[in-house]
Amino acid sequence: MTTLLASTRPAPVRVPGAALGLARSVVRLHRSALWFWLLLMVALAATMLWAYGPGYGTASADVQDQCRRDIEACHFPGGPWLSRYSTAVALTTLVVAFLPLLVAAWAGAALVGRELENGTAHLAWTQSVSPARWLAAKLAVPALLVSVGTALLIPLHRLMWDGGENLLWTDWFDAYGFRSNGTVAVAYALCGLAVGVLAGLVTGRTLPALGVAVAVMFAITHLGDQYRPSMWPTVTVTGAASLSLPDKALQLDRGVITDEGVRIGNNMACTTADSSVADLRSCLAHNDLADVWATYHPQSHFWPLQLTETGIVLAVAALAATASFVLLRRRTAASGAAV
Amino acid sequence: MNTGPSLNTGPSLNSGLSLRTGLSLRTGLPWTVLRLHRAALIVWGAFLLAALGTLVWQVEVTADSVREGMSACARTGGLCRRQAVIHYGGGISWASTLVYYSFFAVAAFAGGALVGRELENGTAELAWTQSVSPTSWLAAKLAVPALLLVAGGTVFVLVFRWAWAADRDLMGDDWTFNDVFAARGPALVAYGLCGLGVGALAGVVLRRSLPAVGVACAGMYVVNHNLEEHRGDLWPTAANGLHPESHYWPMHLVETGVVLGVAVVATGAAFFVLRRRTG
Repeated sequence: MTTLLASTRPAPVRVPGAALGLARSVVRLHRSALWFWLLLMVALAATMLWAYGPGYGTASADVQDQCRRDIEACHFPGGPWLSRYSTAVALTTLVVAFLPLLVAAWAGAALVGRELENGTAHLAWTQSVSPARWLAAKLAVPALLVSVGTALLIPLHRLMWDGGENLLWTDWFDAYGFRSNGTVAVAYALCGLAVGVLAGLVTGRTLPALGVAVAVMFAITHLGDQYRPSMWPTVTVTGAASLSLPDKALQLDRGVITDEGVRIGNNMACTTADSSVADLRSCLAHNDLADVWATYHPQSHFWPLQLTETGIVLAVAALAATASFVLLRRRTAASGAAV
Repeated sequence: MNTGPSLNTGPSLNSGLSLRTGLSLRTGLPWTVLRLHRAALIVWGAFLLAALGTLVWQVEVTADSVREGMSACARTGGLCRRQAVIHYGGGISWASTLVYYSFFAVAAFAGGALVGRELENGTAELAWTQSVSPTSWLAAKLAVPALLLVAGGTVFVLVFRWAWAADRDLMGDDWTFNDVFAARGPALVAYGLCGLGVGALAGVVLRRSLPAVGVACAGMYVVNHNLEEHRGDLWPTAANGLHPESHYWPMHLVETGVVLGVAVVATGAAFFVLRRRTG
């Protein structure tokens, strides 16, 4: 009898293939999302490659041709090819910059919210998959696919973005471009996944989770754009150097220092003086000023800014993922499997 | 099924009961729609109030402080003035941009929560067995939000017209900006109704909430993007090939007509598909 009783509750056996099976079931359940993701990646990659190569080539040749025929066209470049090329660049940048919102919407609604609303999550938890392992699989498999996909898009986007410098005046500090040109793209996408999963767990319903996840990710990316310049120490220069900042610098503020040594920001006095030192000196003396200054980010700050923001956004993602695990554990511990 | 007291069945054995049921059904169905979607109603109401509040606040409070700040930095000009303009105009343009593009949210709501989810869950079929025909079910589902959208949108357009015209010297935009163009007239309301119609059609056709959300938003993007691209072609240009500001109303009304046309076609198609399916 004792052996029989004991055998009714066997110790959980860790089957080697169990983790793999769980991962496979996540992929299988969301195979239409997987196909959509793959198609989106292929379409984006193809458009960006087209824009980088033939798109840029044709548009550039067309603009030069128009310029040769009409001097007006040199100052106001246009034409169907330039418009096609710039649409391809703008559209792909927009999509890559807002992929995190799409990921968040899907994770909140389809990955977690719907499963909790339908009760299929609870069913899974009775099939020898613990809630924590269920959530781990839900996070790990999409995280892998989202990271790999986004990471592959970054170099392609950089190629296209840097190639467009002459025709489209693309800047390294452009908000959407910045979010698509480096490691922050992966960080925001992962953050979207974690925020979506948390929204799904908190609301426990498909459509509210979708709305909340998108709204929160919109706020997070907006905050990132807003506070990006503060994420690495800026460079401040005074005197004639402040009147001719290095090429492609992102100017943040400029102002004057009065004879009393008071520093005034957001002031354009003496900036019209041409950068010859004598001209500047006479303007300063004329206005009772000691010096002029400017604060900026040189282009070399691109990677420090990228990596700092990546770290912060990944920390937010980790926080959201941890909160999801804690929330799920507390709920399932309190009332069995009833979430 | 047909034995119970029903709507519009002429003289029945107990006309008093029939009349009362008819009345309560007629008021009850919209009430159910409101009650079922009260969360959406609250979110939408709060959003609209926040947008209206921002407009009033910018005109009545911020404008004065911005003017004070500008007179203080009169000596430096340039950047100082531009920042004041950004500070003042930013709030107004956020309000008009968000309210204008909220037709995406309307389309997502109509496709997902209003129609798609009900067909996916089977709650729609349940309602149709409770003496509510599929047609009157969809009519109620669309009429109540449509009424709210028209009322709320009209109030917003009137307040925005006042706020936008109040301090033109403090704002850097003009009548051709996408959000300004739409939010100064009935096109704003038309886009909301179009979102409702397109969302309903996506929900009825796909019968699942999430695909309906995606398709409805994509459909609205196609409609809106193409119209924004071709606004200049909606009315013949003046002799110099440009549009003077006096072309605002003709262009705006043509676009309103096109958007309302799409709304009517999509809504009609939604009813047609539903009737054929439930036939």
